[in-house]
Amino acid sequence: MTSPIANWSPENQERANKILATYPEKRSAIMPLLYLASLEHNHASNEAMCQVAELIGITPSQVRSVSTFYTMFKQEPVGKYLVSVCTSISCHLLGGNEVFDSVSDAAGVGHNQTTEDGQISVEHVECIGACGGAPAVQVNYELIEGVTPDKARALVEWLTQTTPAVVLADEMQQLFGGQRSFDWGPAEHAGAIAPVPAFGPYGSAGGDQ
Amino acid sequence: MRSMPPSKEGRQPLSDTKNAPEMVNITINGIQHEAVAGERVIIAAEKAGEYIPRFCHHPKLDPVGKCRQCLVEVEGPRGKQLLPSCAIYVTDGMVIDTQSDVVKKAQKGVLEYLLINHPLDCPVCDKAGECPLQDQTMTHGPGESRFVEAKRKFKKPIPVSDLVLLDRERCILCDRCVRVADQIAGDPLITFNERGNQTQILTFPNEPFASYFSGNTVQVCPVGALTSTDYRFRARPWDLEITPTVSLRDTVHSNAEINTSRGRVIRVYGATNDHVNDGWLSDKDRFSFGAINSDERVTTPLRKTGTGFEEITWADAIDTVSARLGAMIGTEVGSIGGANNTNEEAYALSKFMRTVIGSPHVDAQLGDGFEPQLAAAVIPRAKIDDIDAATTILVWGPDLKERLPVLYLRVRKAVRNGANLVVVAPTRTGLDAIATHVIRYRAGSGQDVIRKLANADKSMTAILETLAEGPVVTLFGRTSIAEDPRLAESVAAYGRTLDGAKLMPLLQRANVFGALDMGLAPNLLPGRISTTDTDASSHIEETWGPLPDALGRDTAAMLSGAVSGDIRALILVGADPVRDFPDPQAAEKALEEAEFVVAIDAFVTDSSRHADIILPAALWSEVEGTVTNLEGRVQVVGAALPPKGQARSVIGMLNDIATSMGAELTSFDVSVVSKEIATVAPAYQGITRDGIVFTSSGAGIVVPSQEAEIIVEMAPRYASMAPDAVPTEASGSAVIVPAQGTQPLGYIPTDQAVPMVTDRYTLHYAPAMYDDGVITRHAPSIADLVRDPTVGLNPRDASILAVANGSIVVVDGSVELPVRIDEAVPEGSVVLPFNHAATKGLQAVPAVTVEPIRDES
Repeated sequence: MTSPIANWSPENQERANKILATYPEKRSAIMPLLYLASLEHNHASNEAMCQVAELIGITPSQVRSVSTFYTMFKQEPVGKYLVSVCTSISCHLLGGNEVFDSVSDAAGVGHNQTTEDGQISVEHVECIGACGGAPAVQVNYELIEGVTPDKARALVEWLTQTTPAVVLADEMQQLFGGQRSFDWGPAEHAGAIAPVPAFGPYGSAGGDQ
Repeated sequence: MRSMPPSKEGRQPLSDTKNAPEMVNITINGIQHEAVAGERVIIAAEKAGEYIPRFCHHPKLDPVGKCRQCLVEVEGPRGKQLLPSCAIYVTDGMVIDTQSDVVKKAQKGVLEYLLINHPLDCPVCDKAGECPLQDQTMTHGPGESRFVEAKRKFKKPIPVSDLVLLDRERCILCDRCVRVADQIAGDPLITFNERGNQTQILTFPNEPFASYFSGNTVQVCPVGALTSTDYRFRARPWDLEITPTVSLRDTVHSNAEINTSRGRVIRVYGATNDHVNDGWLSDKDRFSFGAINSDERVTTPLRKTGTGFEEITWADAIDTVSARLGAMIGTEVGSIGGANNTNEEAYALSKFMRTVIGSPHVDAQLGDGFEPQLAAAVIPRAKIDDIDAATTILVWGPDLKERLPVLYLRVRKAVRNGANLVVVAPTRTGLDAIATHVIRYRAGSGQDVIRKLANADKSMTAILETLAEGPVVTLFGRTSIAEDPRLAESVAAYGRTLDGAKLMPLLQRANVFGALDMGLAPNLLPGRISTTDTDASSHIEETWGPLPDALGRDTAAMLSGAVSGDIRALILVGADPVRDFPDPQAAEKALEEAEFVVAIDAFVTDSSRHADIILPAALWSEVEGTVTNLEGRVQVVGAALPPKGQARSVIGMLNDIATSMGAELTSFDVSVVSKEIATVAPAYQGITRDGIVFTSSGAGIVVPSQEAEIIVEMAPRYASMAPDAVPTEASGSAVIVPAQGTQPLGYIPTDQAVPMVTDRYTLHYAPAMYDDGVITRHAPSIADLVRDPTVGLNPRDASILAVANGSIVVVDGSVELPVRIDEAVPEGSVVLPFNHAATKGLQAVPAVTVEPIRDES
C-alpha cells in the first residue's frame, strides 16, 4: 500500500511524520495535519481530508467534522494572497467597512471570492486581536494595523504588481500601515509563503526555522 | 485500522454476577431511594419512578450531555445547581430535585430553544405519534412560540445511505445517531459538520453511511430527522399493529417487533433483550421484510408440467404427495432443510420423517455447517452474556460482521469494555480492527495453526499469553464453505483446553440450532439425544413408536443417494441446495435424477424449480412458534399476518399428508406441539411456548446443558460423503497480523517444506452479509446492496500471475471475475464471495486454479 501522502513534497512528508510522532494519541494531530494538507492542496480539499484521515486512522467524515468548524481551514481554494479585513466592533468603529470596500473594489471581488487570475482572495473576518491598531488587515495572516481605505487600495495594487513570494508583516506595516497597537518586538523575518496560517513548531506554512 | 475509544463507563455489572453491585442512598424529591453506585442519575431516577425528560440520553450509549433537556437540581457545597442528569453519576447522599420551579423553568427553556429551528411539520412527519420531541412539547412545552424570526432551511431530505434519509431541519443535534455509528457499529461515517449556527449531521461527500447497522440510527432518532426509505410516508404510528418476535435472518435471534398496517408488514423495529441484542438489529434483520410482500411468492400448490408449473388445489397436492411417498420404502425418502422453520415445524418434520415415513434421512444443514452433535450439544456452552464477562474472546469462524452482525456488536462491546480479542481466519474479518491479535493462515491450513497453538510454538508466544488470561470464550465455526468442517471440531477441542473455557458454536442459518435440537440431523433425536443413545431414544419411542434402524444420511449422502438410486424421493423444506450446498452441480444432478421431489418453499428457487410438487410455505411473520438461538435460548416468534395466499405452516401440511397416509402426526395447535416437545425432548423439559410467553418476561429460556452432553470427540453415526470429498489439508504458513498495523508482518515458518504456490490456490469461499440468498434477492430495500464480486489475491500471487487490480481471471475454469489485490489474502489462497450470482455453479472445493485471461489480439 502506498502512503496517502506519497505525492506531497518531501518537506511536507517529513513534517507530517514529525507531527504524527509528537502525539501519543494520533487523533490529536488532526489540526496541524490539516494545515499541512491545506498547504499541499491550497485548501482543505476532500482529497486532503481523506489523506489526513488515512494518516490518523479515522474516517474522512470525522476529519471533515473538525475541518468545517474552523473558518481558517478553507473548504474552497483561495488565491495566492488571502486579504482578510477585520470588521468586528473596534475596526468597524474606526472604518473597517470602508477598508473592506476599498479592498474589494481594488481587487474586483467580494467577500469569499477570488480574482480570476487566482492571485487575490478577499474576506471580511471577525476579530483578529488587533483592536488597539484598528482597522486591521491581514495578508496570508500577516498583520497590518492602522490601515486606511487608500492604503488598503495601495496594498492590493502592490500585491497584484509585485507578487512577492513571501509577505512580511513588518514590510507591509511600513508600506501600508498606520498607528500600531504596541511595539510587537523584534521583526519576524520568516513571513508567510501561502494563504495557510503558520503552525509554528512544525513550520507548516512559514518554512522551518 | 481505526482506533476505538474505550467506553467511558467501563464494564457493566451483569445481572447474574455473584458480586452484587454496590448500593448508595440518594434522595430524589425528598424521598430516599437506593441506587447502584456509579449509575447515571437519569437512570437511577427512572428506576425510582421519576421520569426526567431527555433526548440525547440513551442507556446503551455513552453520555454526552448534549441536549440539556434532563437538567435537574443537585445539592452541592455551593448550594443547589442545575446539572444534566444523564451525564452525572449517583454518589452516596446525593440530593436531587427533579420537580422544582427552577428545574421546570430550565427544562421549559431548553425545549423552547430546541424548537427554535424545528420546523414543527408534524402533520407530514413520519415520527409524529411516536416522537419524543412532540410528546415532551405537549407535556412540558409552551403552547405558543415566541420565535418570529426565519428558521434555518436545508434541502430535504438528503440520503445518507441507500436505506436512510436525513431531514436536517428536524434535527435537534442530540448526537444519538453519531454515537450509534461510532460507539456501537464502529462505522463513524456520519458526524457533525459546519459546527456553529449551521451545525448539521452529514456524511463525507461520496462516502455514504454504508453501515450494516444504519437502521438503528433511524430507531434511536428522537425526532423525525432520520427516516428509512422503505417506511417513509407509509403509515401512522397509531395505525400500526405491533407483534413481538425475534429476527430469523441469523442464529442470534435478535428481538424485534413487526409493525403491520392494513395487512402488510411495513416496518421491523428492534426490541430490547439485554441477554441477546441490546435492542440493536442489523440492516438485514430490519429491511428484508420486503420479501414477505413479494409478488413472486408461491401462493398456491404447484405441480410440474412439461413446460413449467400449474396451480393445483391443496387436496390434489396432498393426495399426490402422500400417494407417491406412501408407495416407497421409508429409507428411500430423505428430507433436506428445516432450518428456516420454527421448532414446532422442525419437530413435526422430524417426527413425520422418522415415524410416518420411517426414514432416518433428515438433515437441516446443507453441508455448510459442521458436526450436528457438536453444534447442538457442545459443553460448556457459552451464553451471549458470557461474552460480556470474558477476559479473552477467541473468534475462529465466519466473519461475524458479515454473518452474525449482532453478535459482532456484542464482541465489539466487550472489547470496548476491556476484553482481549484474538481473531483467527484466512483473510480479513470485520473484527480485525479491534483485535488484540489477528492470525491469518492460508485457507485449508487451519490445523497447522491449531498445532502451533497447542504445542506452544515460539511464534505464538504473545497470543498464548493473551489466551492464558481467562475466562476465555471461544466462538467457533467454519470460516468458509470450502473449509474442512472437522477444523471447527479441532477449534472447539482446543478452546476447551483454555482457562475458564466456554464455547459458542457459530452456525448461521435462521433456526438451525432449533432444528438440530428437534432432531433434524441424521445422528440426533429431539432434545439433543444421539441416535446411538438407546436409553434416551427408548423414551422417545414411548411417544413416537419405533424409530427407524437404518443409518441416517446427511445432505451430501442423500444427494449422492438420489443419483445412485438409493434415495428415490427428496423433500426440500425451505432448502435451496443448488445454491447453498458446497457442490451445486451435484445438488442439481441429484434433484434431476430423483424420482420424486417435493419442495416446501415460498419461492421458486434454483432447487425448487426441479420439484414435482411445490407446497407454498408460510414465511417469518406468518408463523407462530418457538425458535432456539446459538446459545440455546428458546424464544417466541410471532405471527403478525396470516400466510400469504394459500401458504401454510409446515405443521399443517405435514399433518394433512400424514392423515392422508393413514397415520397420525401431531396437533395443528402450536401450543400443543410445543407441549409435546417438552414431553418428548429431554433437554426441552418444561420449556413450552406458553411458558415462555407468560413467565420469561420476554427474555426467553436457555435450554440447560446436560451433563451427558460430551462433545468434541464423538463418533458420528451416519453416512456422509463429505469427509471423503475433502483431501488432506493444504499446508501453508500462518501470518500474525500486528494489532493496529504498527509493526512489520511476522511470518510463522511452515511445518513441512511444501511449496507455497502450486498451480492451485486454496479457496476461501464465504458469503457477505448481502448475498444472493432468496430472501435478500426478493427484499427490494436490500437487494441492490450486494457488492460487486471480486477475486481476492495476495500481491505476491498477483505478480506471479502478472495481473493487476481489475484484471479478469478465470477461477476453476468456470468463473470469470476481476481481481482485487489485497495483502490480507494469504499467499497461495484466493478469496471469493459465496452465494453470489457471479459465483453460481462454482464448487466449494478446497483448492482451485486461477488463470489470467490474456488479450488474444
